[in-house]
Amino acid sequence: MITKFTTLLAAGALALGASFATAHAAETVKVGVLHSLSGTMAISETSLRDVLLFTFDEINAKGGILGKKIEPVVVDGASNWPLFAEKAKQLLEQDKVAVTFGCWTSVSRKSVLPVYEKNNGLLFYPVQYEGEEESQNVAYTAEAVNQQATPAVDYYLAEGKKKFYLLGTDYVYPQTTNLVLLEYLLSKGVKLENIGGGFKRDESGKIIAAGKYTPFSHTDYQQIIAEIKQFAASGDACVISTLNGDTNVPFFKEYAAAGLTAEKCPVVSFSISEDEFRGLPAKQLVGQLGCWTYFQSINTPANKKFVADFQAWLKTTKAPGVVKEGRVTCSPMVLSYVGVYLWKAAVEKAGSFDVDKVRAAYKTGLSFDGPGGKVTTQKNMHVTKNVFIGETKADGQFKIVKSFDNVYGEPWLKGQFKAK
Amino acid sequence: MNFFNRTVRLLAFAALTLGFVAHAADSARAIIAKAALAETLAQRVETITSLLGSGDESIAGLLAAWKEDALFVYTAPDGSKIPVQLYGDKDDKDSQTATRVDSGKPLLSPAGKPLRLVASELSAVEHTSALRRAMKAVLDLLDLSTPDLKKRISAIQTLGFAQDAEKLAALQARQKIESVPSAQLALREAIALIGLKDASPEVKLASLNELAALHTIGSADALKAALADAEAAHHPSLAAAARLALNAVDSHLTTVNFFGTLFRGLSLGSILLVVALGLAITFGLMGVINMAHGEMIAVGAYTTYVVQNIFGTGLALSPFGFSFHLPGMNTGGWLYESYFIFALPLSFLSAALVGIAMERAVIQWLYRRPLESLLATWGVSLFLQQFFRRVFGSNNVQVSSPSYLSDNWTFNDIIFGWNRVFVIGFAGLIVLGVWLVLTRTSLGLLIRAVMQNRNMAACMGVRTERVNMLTFGLGSGLAGLAGAFLSQIGNVGPSLGQSYIVDCFMTVVVGGVGNLPGTVVSAFGIGLADQSLQQILLNPVLGKITVLVAIILFLQWRPAGIFVTKSRSLEG
Repeated sequence: MITKFTTLLAAGALALGASFATAHAAETVKVGVLHSLSGTMAISETSLRDVLLFTFDEINAKGGILGKKIEPVVVDGASNWPLFAEKAKQLLEQDKVAVTFGCWTSVSRKSVLPVYEKNNGLLFYPVQYEGEEESQNVAYTAEAVNQQATPAVDYYLAEGKKKFYLLGTDYVYPQTTNLVLLEYLLSKGVKLENIGGGFKRDESGKIIAAGKYTPFSHTDYQQIIAEIKQFAASGDACVISTLNGDTNVPFFKEYAAAGLTAEKCPVVSFSISEDEFRGLPAKQLVGQLGCWTYFQSINTPANKKFVADFQAWLKTTKAPGVVKEGRVTCSPMVLSYVGVYLWKAAVEKAGSFDVDKVRAAYKTGLSFDGPGGKVTTQKNMHVTKNVFIGETKADGQFKIVKSFDNVYGEPWLKGQFKAK
Repeated sequence: MNFFNRTVRLLAFAALTLGFVAHAADSARAIIAKAALAETLAQRVETITSLLGSGDESIAGLLAAWKEDALFVYTAPDGSKIPVQLYGDKDDKDSQTATRVDSGKPLLSPAGKPLRLVASELSAVEHTSALRRAMKAVLDLLDLSTPDLKKRISAIQTLGFAQDAEKLAALQARQKIESVPSAQLALREAIALIGLKDASPEVKLASLNELAALHTIGSADALKAALADAEAAHHPSLAAAARLALNAVDSHLTTVNFFGTLFRGLSLGSILLVVALGLAITFGLMGVINMAHGEMIAVGAYTTYVVQNIFGTGLALSPFGFSFHLPGMNTGGWLYESYFIFALPLSFLSAALVGIAMERAVIQWLYRRPLESLLATWGVSLFLQQFFRRVFGSNNVQVSSPSYLSDNWTFNDIIFGWNRVFVIGFAGLIVLGVWLVLTRTSLGLLIRAVMQNRNMAACMGVRTERVNMLTFGLGSGLAGLAGAFLSQIGNVGPSLGQSYIVDCFMTVVVGGVGNLPGTVVSAFGIGLADQSLQQILLNPVLGKITVLVAIILFLQWRPAGIFVTKSRSLEG
């Protein structure tokens, strides 16, 4: 008898709990945040977690989305690519998040992609990548190659540069980007012998890799610098660098010690943003170029407000693990921020959190005026946005020297450019 | 009479030159003022380009100020815009003296009083790299006569590579008065390069022969273009001369690459030697498998970072929840740059102290148990890494290189970076120092005695405990010195040690455990092999892999390394 009673009570409690849970769920919408908060990528990805939490707070303060507050579910990918897939599965199957914002490296994106496709989830991806991918389950707010690498080449060509040295870290993003760049340079009439770094050919003589590659955390750049110095001896050369992370420190120290300067042979780096300068000696990079869809130094009221709001949020936030001093904003952070607002716009247009409806709404060309100017969604899940080229200043900020407005995001570039 | 005549002529000449300079100064200033006010970038570039060929003395200063964001546009109360340059020290309101760009005279208020302006309230005149290149072209002609040799040569080369026949006259004029041989060479090259574009085949041929004689690396591209032209024009003698010149450049490149590789191999070998020498003592002589050796290197590197900040503006640290601020001395100039000299002994000391503490706390119980010492020191290494993270944060920290280490000396196109020359010399010095300590001091005698036979030494009355402690301190201190040096060429972060520990063990094992000369030979051998393979295979990864495979094969053949330590003890 007693046992029956307890069972009944327990069942009642459970039902009550469940109804509470539903009541709770009615007011919030769960949103996944999937970044590495530990391990080698944590330095970069933690900033994206921070800016996402800031964005959610900003939206919640204004009433949320469709009357619901955003409830972030933050999980740690721990710089471990298989773990990313497991965490993604947990977000989609257990937490049933409406959308996920996450990933930095291409390998982490490739690792979670099957999970999102199988569960029909939606992932917003904010970091510059190599293209050659167009999943219906990923919204690429990231820079495609034609929104970062090819504008930089255009800039160099306009500057009168004739020789291009390709250098990168040895993984999928630099390798693919450099192959696209090779085709692009040839299509612009640059001769093959004026493209430095070396080529790898298959048996038939077709080029399968272009440029010089060094492993992660390589330290000895003497040989490569000597090569660049000879390459640049005729005074019209430049370097296109996809070197990643802290290998930039020994590279640029050696570069300066060999007497190479931005005026003699400039370097454009695709992986150094304001955030990276927290651990890089900016003084040795003065005059070198960066190319992104956002710089903190953009002088518009929208950007000034964004920077000020983010700094104010840092001061007051109680979220654990947020570093409060010396923070800056950078392109991947802004693309995360913009991604949340584009998703919000799509949800509001669809009137629902259902992934299929949101995706359909997302593809209709929604616009948002972000800190870097207007961004517009496209049918191919990428976004149209402005591209800026900036010169490094001694304080780790960029001086904008050139901007390209409303550049269409095109992921499929390989084979697009025909040599003259 | 004669004297009077001369004086008059001299006076007249002086007046003429003065008048000319004053006149030119006005116009150059006016042009720069006009450029500063121009609305589009293209106009600016065009206006600046119109200064080409002007030898005006005010140009250099004004354009330099422009590049350094010290040129501003001041809007007068009547709405007119006046470009100004700000000078001098800031007073308590941050204001500086302002001079008008167009006249060089002080900026006056409507009442006729000199105005003082605040830089942050004005907008600096912008400059882009296209504009800076236009400025550079102007300055290059100006720089043809600058006393700064490096600048002068660079200006000559820029003019040469542009292959612009209009600049030929300026170069030839300079050639007549140039006295420095290296600048003369650059002038010959530049004139020959421009000659390649000349219409007459004779001039072309002469230029090609001149370039063959000079065989500069930079001329290769122009020579290739000339060769293509000659072949297209079916001019066999020109094509032959161009080929000859290209061959001369190629053989020069081979020489440069050979000696360059040799130098780079020496410098990489020196780095390996510097990082491994400490381990050669703690592992080689003492037999402790010290996995925390890399962290001793990091201690040295972080010490350099702290010393740098103390010489600068101080350092705010918040380890374990306490926050405190290390006061800085706010030095500048050469005094700040000398921080590195002070950092060297301090990093030795701090790493030696950490090493001694580690020896007392952990290692002294494990001398006869190498496997346990491996695990224990690995634990210490993890502990220290986490400690660095808590104290200095998990990001890398910035250590700036003093200017005397971030330049180079180029001889015959081979670059000798001062940081690299320094490490080679430094490696030589510490090897000499360690050798002297071990062979010429009583401590060295005791160390050798204890390392050869601990029990026997103890029986003879040697305080082996103390000798162990000091030896371990010496090895760790050397690792600290290596860290101070590594901070000048690479990253300083919590995982600094991890990236060198494998190289350290590799060097010591290849050289022969317990043998200092072996470590020296193996460090230079590995360094040279690595750089040569990089040069031959044109691939940094493949080079390193090949070296590792070669080392594995070598150790199969000679498991005890290059130099085998002969010992009478059973363990040897």
